[in-house]
Amino acid sequence: MASSSPFLNPSARSRPGDLAIVLLARDSYQPITLEQSTGAVDGYVEGKVLNTRFGSFPHSTFLDVPWGSQIRASHVDTGSRGRKRKLEASGEDTSTPGADDEAKDSEAGSQLTRKAASAPSGFVHILKPSPELWTSALPHRTQVVYTPDYSYILSRIRARPGTRIIEAGAGSGSFTHASVRAVYNGLPQKPEDKKGKVFSFEFNEDRYHKMQDEIVEHKLADMVHLTHRDVYGEGFLVEGKSPEATAIFLDLPAPWKALKHISRRRPQTDGETPKPDDGNWISPLDPKKSVHICTFSPCIEQVMRTVTELRRLGWVDVDMVEVAHKRINVLREKVGLNLPNKKGCNLTPANVTESIDRLKEINEKTKDFNNAQKEKDGDAMAVDPKDSGKANRQGNGKEEEDEKPWAQGRVVHRPEGELKTHTSYLVFAVLPREWSEEDEAAASARWPCGKETKTIGSVDKAARKQAKREMHQMYEMEKGRKRQKRSAGEKQAIGEDTQTST
Amino acid sequence: MTTLLYIASMSRDLVQPNAWVAIKLPNDMLRVLQVVPNTTISLGKYGSFPSNLIIERPYNLTYEVQDQEEGETYSRLRIVPGVELNADALADTSADKDAIETSEETAETNDDDDVIVPADGEDFTLVDDSGKVIARSSREVLDDSARQTLTSAEIEELKKKGTSAGQDLIAKLLLSHTAIDQKTQFSLAKYKLLKTKKYIRRFTVLPLDVPLLAHWMLEDKDASKILEMRQESMALLGCWADTHFASQPEEGAEGPHAGQWLVVDDTGGLLTASLAERMGILHQTPEEQEQPETSVADAGSSGQPDGQPTQKPKRRRLNDLEVPYAPNNTLTVLHHNTQPNLFMLRYFDFDNTEINPTPPYHPLYSNLLSLSWLQLVSPELDQTYSDPPAEVDPETVASWKTNQRGNYHRKRRRWARTKHIIDTTRAGGFAGLAVASTMEPISILRHTLPLLAGGAPVAIYSQTVEPLAALADAFSITRRAAWVSSPPAETEGKTVAEIERWEGNDEFPINPTLLLGASIQTSRARRWQVLPQRTHPLMTERGGAEGYIFTAWRAIPVEGKIEARGRFRKRKAGA
Ligand SMILES: C[S@@+](CC[C@H](N)C(=O)[O-])C[C@H]1O[C@@H](n2cnc3c(N)ncnc32)[C@H](O)[C@@H]1O
Repeated sequence: MASSSPFLNPSARSRPGDLAIVLLARDSYQPITLEQSTGAVDGYVEGKVLNTRFGSFPHSTFLDVPWGSQIRASHVDTGSRGRKRKLEASGEDTSTPGADDEAKDSEAGSQLTRKAASAPSGFVHILKPSPELWTSALPHRTQVVYTPDYSYILSRIRARPGTRIIEAGAGSGSFTHASVRAVYNGLPQKPEDKKGKVFSFEFNEDRYHKMQDEIVEHKLADMVHLTHRDVYGEGFLVEGKSPEATAIFLDLPAPWKALKHISRRRPQTDGETPKPDDGNWISPLDPKKSVHICTFSPCIEQVMRTVTELRRLGWVDVDMVEVAHKRINVLREKVGLNLPNKKGCNLTPANVTESIDRLKEINEKTKDFNNAQKEKDGDAMAVDPKDSGKANRQGNGKEEEDEKPWAQGRVVHRPEGELKTHTSYLVFAVLPREWSEEDEAAASARWPCGKETKTIGSVDKAARKQAKREMHQMYEMEKGRKRQKRSAGEKQAIGEDTQTST
Repeated sequence: MTTLLYIASMSRDLVQPNAWVAIKLPNDMLRVLQVVPNTTISLGKYGSFPSNLIIERPYNLTYEVQDQEEGETYSRLRIVPGVELNADALADTSADKDAIETSEETAETNDDDDVIVPADGEDFTLVDDSGKVIARSSREVLDDSARQTLTSAEIEELKKKGTSAGQDLIAKLLLSHTAIDQKTQFSLAKYKLLKTKKYIRRFTVLPLDVPLLAHWMLEDKDASKILEMRQESMALLGCWADTHFASQPEEGAEGPHAGQWLVVDDTGGLLTASLAERMGILHQTPEEQEQPETSVADAGSSGQPDGQPTQKPKRRRLNDLEVPYAPNNTLTVLHHNTQPNLFMLRYFDFDNTEINPTPPYHPLYSNLLSLSWLQLVSPELDQTYSDPPAEVDPETVASWKTNQRGNYHRKRRRWARTKHIIDTTRAGGFAGLAVASTMEPISILRHTLPLLAGGAPVAIYSQTVEPLAALADAFSITRRAAWVSSPPAETEGKTVAEIERWEGNDEFPINPTLLLGASIQTSRARRWQVLPQRTHPLMTERGGAEGYIFTAWRAIPVEGKIEARGRFRKRKAGA
């Protein structure tokens, strides 16, 4: 196979040259390209090393392991760079009390050449890349489209294996990676193979180059064609040819300025008469298929202009939505007077009974105390109600502490502390293919009317009931019988449909 | 290696005879039906027309049902151009809109009534060439001006005849209602009369795909059958399970191959259909026929390609023990009954109960596998699996009666397929797991996590958050830490594989080290009305299940003790 992108054809085990996503902690991802070092790198005799706050990880420990593996931190030997440098490196790991010990340990292991030795603590996990992980881990050069938006968009614009999709601007490539997965249907074997492909456009030169490097590094170059271009002025043809797209995604500041190019015929500016060279104009769209578009804009003013322009150009089913997404945290809510005095525990009564018991207890103690005061003989035995209360609580607390802390309290859930409440407005529309009078004449010649026998669709209520009864009987009869199920299924499905007619 | 088999009837560019389509009505309701040639399609009050008028015509076109012409027995259709469809929205319509909207809501005419003009609550808009609104009116205005301008004969004619015939009259009425100088200024021909969408006899033909089918089930049909799963959830599930087209494994590559996904589907096959659509195995199209053909695997050698690959369309008759399944780009459905319930796949011309289909084969025939939980967990209890049919020498078979011979072959084929599915599934190595089920998710994961390849994503949909919250709690950081520092006594001395399949206890319902990054999310698309001066979110939308998604990745924990470091330690102490 010409190329085997880790996004599309992952190997079972990690390989040199693969992009990998290192999961450091919850929501903390580090993308790395795995390297097979042949000698010391940056003074590390183990070769290339990833240093994190959870320890040091020579790439050799990431290689040839199953994806998803938990990887132990290693003692790394900096050899020539000496101990000072090593301490600096481990200084990153701010909260490790044992940093000094480790440094000593590493001296002991300094004869090591390439094979890394495990450290007593610290680990990460290594994951194979996916668009979801890449979106969380990628270097941000612009605002990016996140999973809740791109998943919905790709579904709405019907981006599927084989789809040719136009995307502008490429930005940081978050949407690009998601869309290439959606449209991929194999590598082109010969140049004329028309496979699913992403045609991406970016006019910022710096971003264009960075994106292009990433595409090559991620082995997606056969499926993503990136063009350095201002699409408002120059449109969407690629090397003069039509991408023959059926899906369009515009994440641009002024999508309405690009719409004139996404047309089936040469766009006409006001008052202009069609030019004679119209025949030479090339549409970037597939002439035989409906085209679905999505534009992505943060402001309502942008939406208004885009929608008006789409309507003017004859796009139909214009629809606008906003995706509200929430991540939910699950935690254990621990409330009760008898809980250990620990973080995460709320030491207030869990219920009315607990409260009443406590109040009664205090009552008793106050009474005792008052009595003692009344006797006022300096009996020395007077009890301090507070003290006794504490003793009591601690006693109970110990019992509770024996219980497993992860099983205490009750499971509750709530949205995350910080919510992304607005990303952008999503405008969708459809442009049907053109249908000429000749097309229509040809079709009606092939499918003449007037020989209609049955009626499908709306049926009156009595007929509907009768059909349902028959369906039911038939279903009962066919139960257990394997043959003819197919035709029954079709009938049943039609029967089901008629129930919905209003 | 690739064959282009053009099956015209499967093309998705034009409506094909007998294709399943969705018809969108002016009130936004969908009708799902099969376009059988030479039938009349009736849309109730929106009119009826011959099915042949939409066959081999493009999708996404909007038609208007015309009045029957003299001497014709059916209504013709007119394609309504996009710009005309948009005229109303484009028109600067700041006036009267509220009043019109209220009258729209109150009006609900009888299904089977003929469209009578002017009917109750019917509204008209008169626009000029540029789409500018000249006049806008509802019934009262029409009635009023009708009395003044039309003869009673004209009114009668208007009521009897269909809409389009009455259009000129209505335009005249409307015009009579506007300022006099305007009346004289424009000739009638320049105006376009638009009816408000509720009464217009228009419809749009849409290709039936998964999002549309799901929308129809949810809004018009029976949402409970698909666990009220919205497009947002379905899309998220597909992405987080990382389902996509998977290329064929390289020749001679050892299985299990990347690109096999595991599914638990209580949505009648909607989830399966949506994943299949993402993998390019749902719609039978000419493009899909171009794919390299699936090789035929032999049940005996569990998933190994057997000799030369077979061309799908010209599939030779399989010997009894050969199975038709693809090595990858497959979905394996785990079901709780003896047979999976995948009735939704019928809308994509696939019937999973059909054992010996005829060509052209649906891609799902070779790329959809299914087995029950019992077959997965205790295959030895499965009658078919545990009872391999005896091999009888061909001469004896030839001497049998047709019936007996048929039975013999059927039995052997069934055994080979069952064995192949069970063995390959139990061999594991799946690229991901997608679930939309009413079953307890912990129990599902207990049996499926060991089958997933390292790093494979898990995505679980639930109508409510509670089952997923319980699941997330089983994988909480504190529980994981507790497991690592002192694993349950029962797991002592067990191998890694045994610990992966450990059945759990009260403290640890499932081995908590097998998943990474467990999180829960919910997503909802809020629709807006976008009109000049009147842009706002919709006032009401469907309630019910919000829909939640649990996601995580399959982890391969290190063997032996391991201690966390860094911030993690602090958090552990605090929890
Ligand atoms: C918000 S970013 C796109 C982010 C991208 N969708 C992602 O998910 O990473 C918008 C990009 O459009 C580019 N852009 C703006 N105007 C453009 C134009 N006329 N032609 C091409 N690209 C343009 C900008 O340089 C910027 O990188």
